[in-house]
Amino acid sequence: MSLIARHFEKKGLPTLILGSAFDILKAGMPPRGLFLNYPLGFETGKPFDKKNQFEVVESALAIFESFEQPGIKTIEYEWQAGWEMTLERARAEGEDSRSPRDTTPKYQNAEDKRLAEMKINN
Amino acid sequence: MTSHREPDEQLKHARALYLAPKPQTKPEPVAYIEQTRSRYDGLGYPPYQWFEADDIGELAPISKRLSESRLGLISSAGTYVTGQTAFFYKDDASIREISSSAVLADLRFSHIMENYLVEAWQDPGVLFPIEALQRLEQQGVIGSLADNFISCMGGIYSQRKVINELIPAIEAAVEQQELDLLLLVPL
Repeated sequence: MSLIARHFEKKGLPTLILGSAFDILKAGMPPRGLFLNYPLGFETGKPFDKKNQFEVVESALAIFESFEQPGIKTIEYEWQAGWEMTLERARAEGEDSRSPRDTTPKYQNAEDKRLAEMKINN
Repeated sequence: MTSHREPDEQLKHARALYLAPKPQTKPEPVAYIEQTRSRYDGLGYPPYQWFEADDIGELAPISKRLSESRLGLISSAGTYVTGQTAFFYKDDASIREISSSAVLADLRFSHIMENYLVEAWQDPGVLFPIEALQRLEQQGVIGSLADNFISCMGGIYSQRKVINELIPAIEAAVEQQELDLLLLVPL
Protein backbone atom coordinates (compact mmCIF):
# COMPACT_ATOMS: atom_id res chain seq x y z
CA MET A 1 0.00 0.00 0.00
CA SER A 2 2.94 2.32 0.71
CA LEU A 3 4.10 1.75 -2.85
CA ILE A 4 0.69 2.84 -4.11
CA ALA A 5 0.62 5.88 -1.80
CA ARG A 6 4.05 7.02 -2.93
CA HIS A 7 3.06 6.55 -6.56
CA PHE A 8 0.00 8.80 -6.29
CA GLU A 9 1.69 11.47 -4.16
CA LYS A 10 4.40 11.71 -6.77
CA LYS A 11 1.72 12.32 -9.37
CA GLY A 12 0.21 15.10 -7.24
CA LEU A 13 -2.63 13.31 -5.43
CA PRO A 14 -2.37 13.51 -1.62
CA THR A 15 -2.92 10.17 0.14
CA LEU A 16 -3.37 8.98 3.69
CA ILE A 17 -2.73 5.37 4.74
CA LEU A 18 -4.66 4.32 7.82
CA GLY A 19 -2.95 1.17 9.05
CA SER A 20 -2.48 -0.99 12.13
CA ALA A 21 0.95 -2.49 11.46
CA PHE A 22 3.46 0.15 12.55
CA ASP A 23 6.54 -1.76 11.41
CA ILE A 24 5.14 -2.49 7.94
CA LEU A 25 4.15 1.16 7.54
CA LYS A 26 7.56 2.31 8.67
CA ALA A 27 9.35 0.02 6.21
CA GLY A 28 7.32 1.43 3.32
CA MET A 29 7.68 5.08 4.40
CA PRO A 30 4.35 6.27 3.02
CA PRO A 31 4.19 10.07 2.58
CA ARG A 32 1.30 10.33 5.05
CA GLY A 33 0.89 7.35 7.35
CA LEU A 34 -1.49 7.09 10.25
CA PHE A 35 -1.16 4.32 12.82
CA LEU A 36 -4.18 2.97 14.71
CA ASN A 37 -3.08 0.60 17.46
CA TYR A 38 -5.88 -1.94 17.02
CA PRO A 39 -5.32 -5.59 16.10
CA LEU A 40 -5.07 -6.22 12.35
CA GLY A 41 -8.47 -6.53 10.75
CA PHE A 42 -9.94 -3.48 12.50
CA GLU A 43 -8.20 -0.65 10.66
CA THR A 44 -11.40 1.39 10.57
CA GLY A 45 -12.82 0.59 13.99
CA LYS A 46 -14.39 -1.87 16.37
CA PRO A 47 -16.97 -4.42 15.15
CA PHE A 48 -20.64 -3.51 15.63
CA ASP A 49 -19.60 -0.12 16.97
CA LYS A 50 -20.64 2.44 14.39
CA LYS A 51 -19.77 5.31 16.71
CA ASN A 52 -16.17 4.16 17.08
CA GLN A 53 -15.87 3.46 13.34
CA PHE A 54 -17.14 6.96 12.60
CA GLU A 55 -14.78 8.56 15.09
CA VAL A 56 -11.76 6.67 13.78
CA VAL A 57 -12.42 7.73 10.18
CA GLU A 58 -13.34 11.29 11.17
CA SER A 59 -10.15 11.75 13.22
CA ALA A 60 -8.04 10.16 10.49
CA LEU A 61 -9.33 12.59 7.88
CA ALA A 62 -8.88 15.53 10.26
CA ILE A 63 -5.16 14.70 10.40
CA PHE A 64 -4.81 14.63 6.60
CA GLU A 65 -3.93 18.31 6.29
CA SER A 66 -1.49 18.40 9.21
CA PHE A 67 1.51 16.70 7.57
CA GLU A 68 4.38 19.07 6.94
CA GLN A 69 6.83 16.35 5.99
CA PRO A 70 6.59 12.63 5.19
CA GLY A 71 6.03 10.44 8.22
CA ILE A 72 3.69 8.40 10.41
CA LYS A 73 1.42 9.89 13.06
CA THR A 74 -0.49 7.93 15.67
CA ILE A 75 -4.21 8.20 16.20
CA GLU A 76 -4.76 8.09 19.96
CA TYR A 77 -7.13 5.17 20.41
CA GLU A 78 -6.58 2.09 22.56
CA TRP A 79 -8.63 -1.10 22.68
CA GLN A 80 -7.51 -3.57 25.33
CA ALA A 81 -10.57 -5.81 24.90
CA GLY A 82 -9.81 -6.13 21.20
CA TRP A 83 -6.33 -7.46 21.91
CA GLU A 84 -7.75 -9.99 24.34
CA MET A 85 -10.37 -11.01 21.81
CA THR A 86 -7.74 -11.72 19.15
CA LEU A 87 -5.20 -13.38 21.44
CA GLU A 88 -6.51 -16.83 20.64
CA ARG A 89 -6.23 -16.07 16.95
CA ALA A 90 -2.61 -15.05 17.29
CA ARG A 91 -1.84 -18.31 19.07
CA ALA A 92 -3.50 -20.42 16.37
CA GLU A 93 -1.28 -18.83 13.76
CA GLY A 94 1.51 -21.28 14.32
CA GLU A 95 -0.62 -23.85 12.57
CA ASP A 96 -1.23 -23.68 8.89
CA SER A 97 -4.92 -23.03 8.68
CA ARG A 98 -4.79 -20.96 5.52
CA SER A 99 -6.58 -21.85 2.34
CA PRO A 100 -4.30 -22.79 -0.55
CA ARG A 101 -2.86 -20.02 -2.71
CA ASP A 102 -4.41 -20.77 -6.06
CA THR A 103 -6.35 -18.93 -8.75
CA THR A 104 -9.86 -20.02 -7.78
CA PRO A 105 -11.97 -17.08 -6.53
CA LYS A 106 -12.59 -17.42 -2.79
CA TYR A 107 -16.18 -16.46 -2.11
CA GLN A 108 -17.33 -15.52 1.35
CA ASN A 109 -20.37 -17.74 0.87
CA ALA A 110 -22.02 -20.08 -1.66
CA GLU A 111 -24.72 -17.57 -2.58
CA ASP A 112 -22.08 -15.02 -3.67
CA LYS A 113 -20.53 -17.69 -5.89
CA ARG A 114 -23.88 -18.52 -7.45
CA LEU A 115 -24.71 -14.84 -8.11
CA ALA A 116 -21.30 -14.06 -9.62
CA GLU A 117 -21.30 -17.14 -11.85
CA MET A 118 -24.82 -16.39 -13.02
CA LYS A 119 -23.63 -12.92 -14.09
CA ILE A 120 -20.64 -14.32 -15.98
CA ASN A 121 -22.75 -16.90 -17.79
CA ASN A 122 -25.32 -14.36 -18.98
CA MET B 1 26.95 19.63 -8.53
CA THR B 2 24.35 17.11 -7.41
CA SER B 3 25.16 15.16 -4.30
CA HIS B 4 25.77 11.49 -4.78
CA ARG B 5 25.18 8.92 -2.08
CA GLU B 6 25.73 5.19 -2.02
CA PRO B 7 22.45 3.18 -1.70
CA ASP B 8 23.00 2.22 1.97
CA GLU B 9 23.85 5.74 2.89
CA GLN B 10 20.90 7.04 0.91
CA LEU B 11 18.53 4.74 2.80
CA LYS B 12 19.98 5.81 6.12
CA HIS B 13 19.61 9.40 5.13
CA ALA B 14 15.95 8.90 4.11
CA ARG B 15 15.15 7.02 7.33
CA ALA B 16 16.65 9.82 9.39
CA LEU B 17 14.45 12.38 7.65
CA TYR B 18 11.30 10.28 7.86
CA LEU B 19 9.27 11.33 10.88
CA ALA B 20 7.84 8.25 12.61
CA PRO B 21 8.01 8.64 16.39
CA LYS B 22 7.33 5.56 18.48
CA PRO B 23 3.59 5.35 19.24
CA GLN B 24 2.70 6.10 22.88
CA THR B 25 -0.47 3.99 22.79
CA LYS B 26 -0.76 0.63 24.57
CA PRO B 27 0.18 -2.15 23.91
CA GLU B 28 3.55 -1.82 22.18
CA PRO B 29 3.13 -2.05 18.41
CA VAL B 30 3.20 -5.71 17.29
CA ALA B 31 6.31 -6.74 15.32
CA TYR B 32 4.38 -8.15 12.37
CA ILE B 33 7.31 -8.41 9.96
CA GLU B 34 9.38 -10.43 12.41
CA GLN B 35 6.40 -12.57 13.43
CA THR B 36 5.42 -13.40 9.87
CA ARG B 37 8.98 -14.13 8.80
CA SER B 38 9.48 -16.70 11.52
CA ARG B 39 6.01 -18.21 11.01
CA TYR B 40 6.44 -18.60 7.24
CA ASP B 41 9.87 -20.01 7.83
CA GLY B 42 8.46 -22.56 10.29
CA LEU B 43 5.78 -23.56 7.79
CA GLY B 44 8.27 -23.83 4.94
CA TYR B 45 6.73 -20.97 2.90
CA PRO B 46 8.91 -18.73 0.81
CA PRO B 47 9.58 -15.47 2.67
CA TYR B 48 7.18 -12.61 2.03
CA GLN B 49 8.93 -9.41 1.06
CA TRP B 50 7.25 -6.22 2.21
CA PHE B 51 7.86 -3.18 0.17
CA GLU B 52 10.75 -1.25 1.62
CA ALA B 53 11.27 2.30 0.46
CA ASP B 54 14.77 3.61 -0.12
CA ASP B 55 14.06 7.31 -0.39
CA ILE B 56 11.85 9.66 1.56
CA GLY B 57 9.33 10.24 -1.22
CA GLU B 58 7.37 13.43 -1.46
CA LEU B 59 4.20 15.09 -0.23
CA ALA B 60 1.77 16.27 -2.87
CA PRO B 61 0.41 19.68 -1.91
CA ILE B 62 -3.13 19.76 -0.51
CA SER B 63 -4.97 22.41 -2.47
CA LYS B 64 -8.49 22.24 -1.02
CA ARG B 65 -10.11 21.86 2.37
CA LEU B 66 -11.63 18.48 3.20
CA SER B 67 -15.11 20.02 3.03
CA GLU B 68 -14.46 20.99 -0.59
CA SER B 69 -12.57 17.86 -1.57
CA ARG B 70 -13.57 14.78 -3.47
CA LEU B 71 -12.31 11.75 -1.59
CA GLY B 72 -11.47 8.31 -2.94
CA LEU B 73 -10.84 5.08 -1.06
CA ILE B 74 -8.65 2.08 -1.78
CA SER B 75 -8.87 -1.03 0.37
CA SER B 76 -6.46 -3.95 0.07
CA ALA B 77 -8.67 -6.27 2.10
CA GLY B 78 -9.97 -8.06 -1.00
CA THR B 79 -13.35 -6.34 -0.69
CA TYR B 80 -16.05 -7.18 -3.23
CA VAL B 81 -19.79 -6.62 -3.49
CA THR B 82 -22.06 -9.64 -3.60
CA GLY B 83 -22.59 -10.43 -7.29
CA GLN B 84 -18.99 -9.54 -8.22
CA THR B 85 -16.31 -12.16 -8.75
CA ALA B 86 -14.31 -12.71 -5.56
CA PHE B 87 -10.53 -12.42 -5.42
CA PHE B 88 -8.26 -15.44 -5.52
CA TYR B 89 -5.26 -16.00 -3.25
CA LYS B 90 -2.33 -16.48 -5.62
CA ASP B 91 -1.07 -13.02 -6.54
CA ASP B 92 -4.42 -11.66 -7.74
CA ALA B 93 -3.54 -8.25 -9.19
CA SER B 94 -7.07 -7.35 -10.30
CA ILE B 95 -9.29 -4.67 -8.80
CA ARG B 96 -13.00 -4.27 -8.03
CA GLU B 97 -14.83 -0.98 -8.22
CA ILE B 98 -17.35 -0.55 -5.45
CA SER B 99 -20.02 2.11 -5.67
CA SER B 100 -19.64 4.63 -2.84
CA SER B 101 -23.40 4.37 -2.35
CA ALA B 102 -23.23 0.58 -1.87
CA VAL B 103 -24.93 -0.91 1.17
CA LEU B 104 -22.65 -2.10 3.96
CA ALA B 105 -24.43 -5.46 4.22
CA ASP B 106 -23.57 -6.25 0.57
CA LEU B 107 -19.81 -6.03 1.14
CA ARG B 108 -17.69 -9.18 1.27
CA PHE B 109 -14.01 -9.99 1.73
CA SER B 110 -11.68 -12.55 0.22
CA HIS B 111 -8.15 -12.20 1.52
CA ILE B 112 -5.34 -14.63 2.21
CA MET B 113 -5.26 -13.56 5.86
CA GLU B 114 -8.57 -15.22 6.69
CA ASN B 115 -7.74 -15.17 10.39
CA TYR B 116 -8.13 -11.42 10.35
CA LEU B 117 -11.50 -11.40 8.60
CA VAL B 118 -13.65 -13.16 11.20
CA GLU B 119 -15.30 -9.92 12.37
CA ALA B 120 -15.15 -8.17 8.98
CA TRP B 121 -17.31 -10.95 7.53
CA GLN B 122 -19.93 -10.00 10.15
CA ASP B 123 -19.41 -6.23 10.09
CA PRO B 124 -17.59 -4.95 6.96
CA GLY B 125 -17.29 -1.50 8.59
CA VAL B 126 -14.17 -2.63 10.48
CA LEU B 127 -12.16 -2.64 7.23
CA PHE B 128 -14.18 -0.81 4.61
CA PRO B 129 -15.47 2.44 6.11
CA ILE B 130 -18.29 3.00 3.65
CA GLU B 131 -20.92 4.04 6.21
CA ALA B 132 -18.59 6.39 8.07
CA LEU B 133 -17.63 8.06 4.77
CA GLN B 134 -21.26 8.30 3.63
CA ARG B 135 -22.14 10.00 6.92
CA LEU B 136 -19.19 12.39 6.73
CA GLU B 137 -20.30 13.38 3.25
CA GLN B 138 -23.89 13.92 4.41
CA GLN B 139 -22.65 16.11 7.26
CA GLY B 140 -20.56 18.18 4.86
CA VAL B 141 -17.27 17.21 6.53
CA ILE B 142 -16.14 15.71 3.20
CA GLY B 143 -17.03 17.66 0.04
CA SER B 144 -17.96 14.60 -1.97
CA LEU B 145 -17.11 10.95 -2.39
CA ALA B 146 -15.72 9.30 -5.52
CA ASP B 147 -18.50 7.54 -7.44
CA ASN B 148 -16.55 4.33 -7.08
CA PHE B 149 -14.20 3.14 -4.39
CA ILE B 150 -11.50 0.64 -5.31
CA SER B 151 -10.47 -2.61 -3.73
CA CYS B 152 -7.61 -4.97 -4.37
CA MET B 153 -5.84 -7.87 -2.76
CA GLY B 154 -3.05 -7.43 -0.23
CA GLY B 155 -0.23 -9.87 0.41
CA ILE B 156 0.80 -10.13 -3.24
CA TYR B 157 4.16 -11.85 -3.39
CA SER B 158 5.20 -10.42 -6.72
CA GLN B 159 6.18 -6.74 -6.52
CA ARG B 160 6.59 -6.90 -10.28
CA LYS B 161 2.88 -7.72 -10.55
CA VAL B 162 2.03 -4.89 -8.19
CA ILE B 163 4.00 -2.42 -10.28
CA ASN B 164 3.14 -3.70 -13.76
CA GLU B 165 -0.47 -4.78 -13.28
CA LEU B 166 -2.06 -3.61 -10.05
CA ILE B 167 -0.91 0.01 -9.97
CA PRO B 168 -1.84 0.69 -13.63
CA ALA B 169 -5.29 -0.83 -13.03
CA ILE B 170 -5.80 1.31 -9.92
CA GLU B 171 -4.47 4.35 -11.72
CA ALA B 172 -6.91 3.95 -14.60
CA ALA B 173 -9.79 3.65 -12.13
CA VAL B 174 -8.59 6.59 -9.99
CA GLU B 175 -8.18 8.86 -13.03
CA GLN B 176 -11.89 8.64 -13.79
CA GLN B 177 -12.80 9.82 -10.30
CA GLU B 178 -11.19 13.30 -10.39
CA LEU B 179 -10.04 13.04 -6.80
CA ASP B 180 -8.51 15.61 -4.46
CA LEU B 181 -7.63 13.17 -1.68
CA LEU B 182 -7.17 9.43 -1.46
CA LEU B 183 -7.63 7.35 1.69
CA LEU B 184 -5.88 3.96 1.73
CA VAL B 185 -6.78 1.18 4.12
CA PRO B 186 -4.43 -1.81 3.96
CA LEU B 187 -4.82 -5.34 5.22
